[in-house]
Amino acid sequence: VHFLFSFRAMASLSEEVLLVVKKVRQRKQDGTLYLMAERIAWGPEGKDRFTVSHLYADIRCQKISPDGKAKVQLQLVLHSGESTTFHFANESTALKDREAAKELLQQLLPKFKKKANKELEEKNRMLQEDPVLFQLYKDLVVSQVISAEEFWANRLGGVTNTDPAQYKYKQEVGISGAFLADIRPQTDGCNGLRYNLTADIIESIFRTYPAVKQKYNENVPHNLTEKEFWTRFFQSHYFHRDRINTGTQDIFSECAKQDEKGLKSMVVQGVKNPLVDLLSLEDKTLDEGYGVCGAQPSTSNSNRTVKESSNYAIIKRFNHHSAMVLAAGSRKGETSSTDGNSRDSDFFQPPVKKVKLQEEYEDLQQENRPKTVPLNLKKSDRYAHGPVPLQSQQYTTSQDIINSVNYIQHEMANYKPNLTQVLSSTVATSAISALSPGGVLMQAGAQQAINQMVPSEVQGELKHLYVAAGELLRHFWSCFPVNTPFLEEKVIKMKSNLERFQLTKLRPFQEKIQRQYLSTNLTGHLEEMLQTAYNKFHIWQTRRMMRKT
Amino acid sequence: RDELPRLLDDGHGVLEMPSGTGKTISLLSLIVAYQRAFPLEVTKLIYCSRTVPEIEKVVEELRKLMEFYSKQTRESNNFLALALSSRRNLCIHPEVSSLRFGKEVDGKCHSLTASYIRAQHHSNPSFPVCQFYEEFDAVGRQVPLPAGIYNLDDLKDFGRRKGWCPYYLILHANIVVYSYHYLLDPKIADLVSKELAKKSVVVFDEAHNIDNVCIDSMSVNITRRTLDHCQNNVDTLHNTIHKIKETDAAKLKEEYRRLVEGLKEANVARETDVYLSNPVLPDEILQEAVPGTIRTAEHFVGFLRRFLEYLKSRLRVQHVIQESAPQFLKDIYDKVCIDRKPLRFCAERLQSLLRTLEITDIADFSAATLISNFATLVSTYSQGFTIIIEPFEDRTPTIANPVLHFSCMDPSIAIKPVFQRFQSVIITSGTLSPLDIYPRILDFHPVTMASFTMTLARTCLCPLIVGRGNDQVALSSKFETREDFAVIRNYGNLLMEMSAIVPDGIVAFFTSYVYMENIVASWYEQGILENIQRNKLIFIETQDAAETSMALEKYQEACENGRGAILLSVARGKVSEGIDFVHHFGRAVIMFGVPYVYTQSRILKARLEYLRDQFQIRENDFLTFDAMRHAAQCVGRAIRGKTDYGLMIFADKRYARADKRGKLPRWIQEHITDGSLNLTVDEAVQLSKHFLRQMAQPFRQEDQLGLSLLTLEQLESEEMLQKIAQVAHQT
Repeated sequence: VHFLFSFRAMASLSEEVLLVVKKVRQRKQDGTLYLMAERIAWGPEGKDRFTVSHLYADIRCQKISPDGKAKVQLQLVLHSGESTTFHFANESTALKDREAAKELLQQLLPKFKKKANKELEEKNRMLQEDPVLFQLYKDLVVSQVISAEEFWANRLGGVTNTDPAQYKYKQEVGISGAFLADIRPQTDGCNGLRYNLTADIIESIFRTYPAVKQKYNENVPHNLTEKEFWTRFFQSHYFHRDRINTGTQDIFSECAKQDEKGLKSMVVQGVKNPLVDLLSLEDKTLDEGYGVCGAQPSTSNSNRTVKESSNYAIIKRFNHHSAMVLAAGSRKGETSSTDGNSRDSDFFQPPVKKVKLQEEYEDLQQENRPKTVPLNLKKSDRYAHGPVPLQSQQYTTSQDIINSVNYIQHEMANYKPNLTQVLSSTVATSAISALSPGGVLMQAGAQQAINQMVPSEVQGELKHLYVAAGELLRHFWSCFPVNTPFLEEKVIKMKSNLERFQLTKLRPFQEKIQRQYLSTNLTGHLEEMLQTAYNKFHIWQTRRMMRKT
Repeated sequence: RDELPRLLDDGHGVLEMPSGTGKTISLLSLIVAYQRAFPLEVTKLIYCSRTVPEIEKVVEELRKLMEFYSKQTRESNNFLALALSSRRNLCIHPEVSSLRFGKEVDGKCHSLTASYIRAQHHSNPSFPVCQFYEEFDAVGRQVPLPAGIYNLDDLKDFGRRKGWCPYYLILHANIVVYSYHYLLDPKIADLVSKELAKKSVVVFDEAHNIDNVCIDSMSVNITRRTLDHCQNNVDTLHNTIHKIKETDAAKLKEEYRRLVEGLKEANVARETDVYLSNPVLPDEILQEAVPGTIRTAEHFVGFLRRFLEYLKSRLRVQHVIQESAPQFLKDIYDKVCIDRKPLRFCAERLQSLLRTLEITDIADFSAATLISNFATLVSTYSQGFTIIIEPFEDRTPTIANPVLHFSCMDPSIAIKPVFQRFQSVIITSGTLSPLDIYPRILDFHPVTMASFTMTLARTCLCPLIVGRGNDQVALSSKFETREDFAVIRNYGNLLMEMSAIVPDGIVAFFTSYVYMENIVASWYEQGILENIQRNKLIFIETQDAAETSMALEKYQEACENGRGAILLSVARGKVSEGIDFVHHFGRAVIMFGVPYVYTQSRILKARLEYLRDQFQIRENDFLTFDAMRHAAQCVGRAIRGKTDYGLMIFADKRYARADKRGKLPRWIQEHITDGSLNLTVDEAVQLSKHFLRQMAQPFRQEDQLGLSLLTLEQLESEEMLQKIAQVAHQT
């Protein structure tokens, strides 16, 4: 009764319950899974509240445990990266329960995906497309140096500013040329082969061989299950492309024929670029029958040996395969050939040809650009480094300078070389040799590139640290000048963020390199940067205190 | 390049210059300048090149040159230069030009423009004719082509605007650019090149294969199928004669009368009717009346029948027969009592007959034409030809497929009239080494022979000879090891490693189709191709030209869009002969093996024997020369100029030998260091990486100034002139 009550209470939120599955374990606790109109929820047995509840919109995908595993599980992966695993524990119907939940989710999730938070999707996309950003996100947000909001605070702004059209027409990912090679068959130990198919590979197969896709649509799931289909595919002679005689019962024999037809039509279409058209390349009118090797008999199929024609089939298939892979990569946008290069429409000269014919060395052209005055730098390093800001602490007045000059002048006037106490020439030479490159004293200072001294994983880690520190420092420095209460708050927070970063990220790293006896001070610069920020913060803080007091 | 002026005065020359270094433009500008200075000495320039795109490129260069002239002199010049090509490339008739094969286009054109067709059209206007030709005949004939530079497309464009047929818009040009078949093949040369003046300069560009072109134009192959076709043709002729006899006997009588009087010339004025021409060279054609035995049409058809039956009987052999032309003539006289003289007139007589009978589908009569051309050739030349009858192919001895090869062995026969007729002939190409062999096989005495190298601001080519695999197995395509799995695997390794480090396109050449097919199959079985596919797409040349064109286009597309691709191709194949792989289309060329010609061929053996006896060229020398020129041709495809760069990998240890290496062109040879003679795959990969990284740096104009690019001041400076003179002296 108690349970019913609570159920009613929830229903009062006008939520329609679509599926209830009992005996579902979550974190080793038995409970019940509810699939509702807008969210999925789980409550432990005997409790009146849900301990787990996810909006469908928050769910990125679901994963299921492979068939034949002892535990029947379903995992939900959220956009935030977290995941929840449900274990279907009802012995007799576990599999069926899981399937039911999976099917329903499969229908529901796409609907909500569309509705899902645009911003979330945007963030997700940015993270996926930019591995550096993703690493940064992992370093800063996942390890809780700063919060996700802070991280995104001034990133999304940039997103909305840029042209959204750019993202709409995302560049399509092509197909790897070797996707068939990636299906490494593995022996399963009992005279059989196992092929590992991923969704990517299936997609590749479909895109490269439309005929197979058609077969798939025709046969699955009416005639064959998915598994059977692929089993047959790999058994088929079609897949083993070196055999030519495909049996008639094979459902893929038709595919082979279609491919053949496709290849033929491609060949018949001819080529658009007249410069590679071998048929029209030569301008000779020698008829058949003239010439030394005019009769080239081996092209006719009749008198080829079996081996030869199978070799020929391989070659043809390779050409076809490559052409299809190429076409699949560029299917969108440019398949319509409107450049008028075909032979029957040669009322104007094909542009490709014209361009190729009139190709010329750029360097032979006269320069027509207006003459510019070359930049003439007397002191290039000053130009490169820019003016150095004066620092308040080390500021010297002109009086100081005059005094010091006077002092030096005074010193110099009274200077007398004390030649008896000078080094003897032999000692001097040895000192010089010790100090010249390769000498005893110069070993430590020898400029050795960092990439030779430090193992690559440490380098990678250092790189991540730099990126993360840079990001944090960027946040920090962007607060200056601090003229609003919000910024005040932020700068304080950022300072603590920096400190936390130093503590949780930089220190462990430093300890690690110490442990590995990497003598060089790799993190010196990082520390320096942080120190500069702290200095700035202290100056700002003392000023504020002074103003307050 | 001060070799040329000497040349233009009198005599012939052989010049080797790497492609892309301005070979065409320097030849053109020099000759044009000469032409302008001494208009009476050199009246015409005939520039022959190999492929249609190459021809068009020459014309574009010429256009630039002329633009420069008119800019500098500030006056328009009255030069007329044009490119010539077959009907297939020039026809603008919407119906005819849509046909794909040259033969069809020619036939269709003939059926629309032959004089009797036009006569019929006159009486019955519904009879189709070609309006472009009609328009040209009515208006265009008197109007000369305005001065200028005309490429093929310009000609078509001009024709379209005027409504005239561009093919017949020929020709009083100062410069003519066309394929070298037009000058070398007597069947065409007679039509196109007859009226060229003696004071012309002839340039054969891309002429490294010119001997084969000469031989091809004089050789004939006859199979059983040809004979069957010919049989049909003869039957058709017979029936047509029969019909005409009933309706229009006067026509045949008229023809007979003309033949008696030897008035052939009086009849041929009509240009559109001259579809066929004599297969032998002009100075061999007899200037007398057709002999009596074949003068009447029926007699001639009977004569053809007899000849045909004789050939059929000859093809019914069980073993290979090789004989000389006189032996053949003696045999034919003994067996079927056919004399030498009527045979010599066979081709001419057939033409006359086809004209008289007003046969429209000339293309159908190609078999009969072939047979009659053979008859004329075999009875005209007693030297330099051989007849080989093979009952079956060597590879398939069980399948009867008899072929009669009538093959020319002496390239100098076809080119001799050219050398005799024109005051200077220049043979040039990027790969002509060793230079001295060309004058020998073409039988002429050059005034100049020179091989130029490139002056490079950076070494943009990197020839490497890979002689060993990583496991120290010697790499070679020689016969004994070609089936060896270790070699095949190492070749695969080489390609795989290269595919990982070379950006964009790689072209790999094999020595023959059969070899390539075998290697591809075993690479497939060993999973090497799969691994290569991880890096690049693979395209493979096949024996079908259309299929290869497609593969080639896709290859370029893949290079273009950044995916990168490998083209597996065959030396001596179509790709190696006519396609350039500029810039990223070919960053590396790998030559697997030494591309020796198939030495078991009887025709080749006969030719080698002939070369030894007549020109004192040893078999081995010629074979190596031939293999090396093809290898150089293949690897040279990748470098098309100083801004281009590419690896040239010779994957065969035999390349390291001095006799092979020494036959490579100088501009390649000088970059082969001793350190790159016998590399393993790994070493080659290391060197390539280094090279590619260096080459990928930006290359600016400033880097080249003073080296491969001269400003006007630099060019005129004393120092540079000395330097140039010094370089010229060395060569």
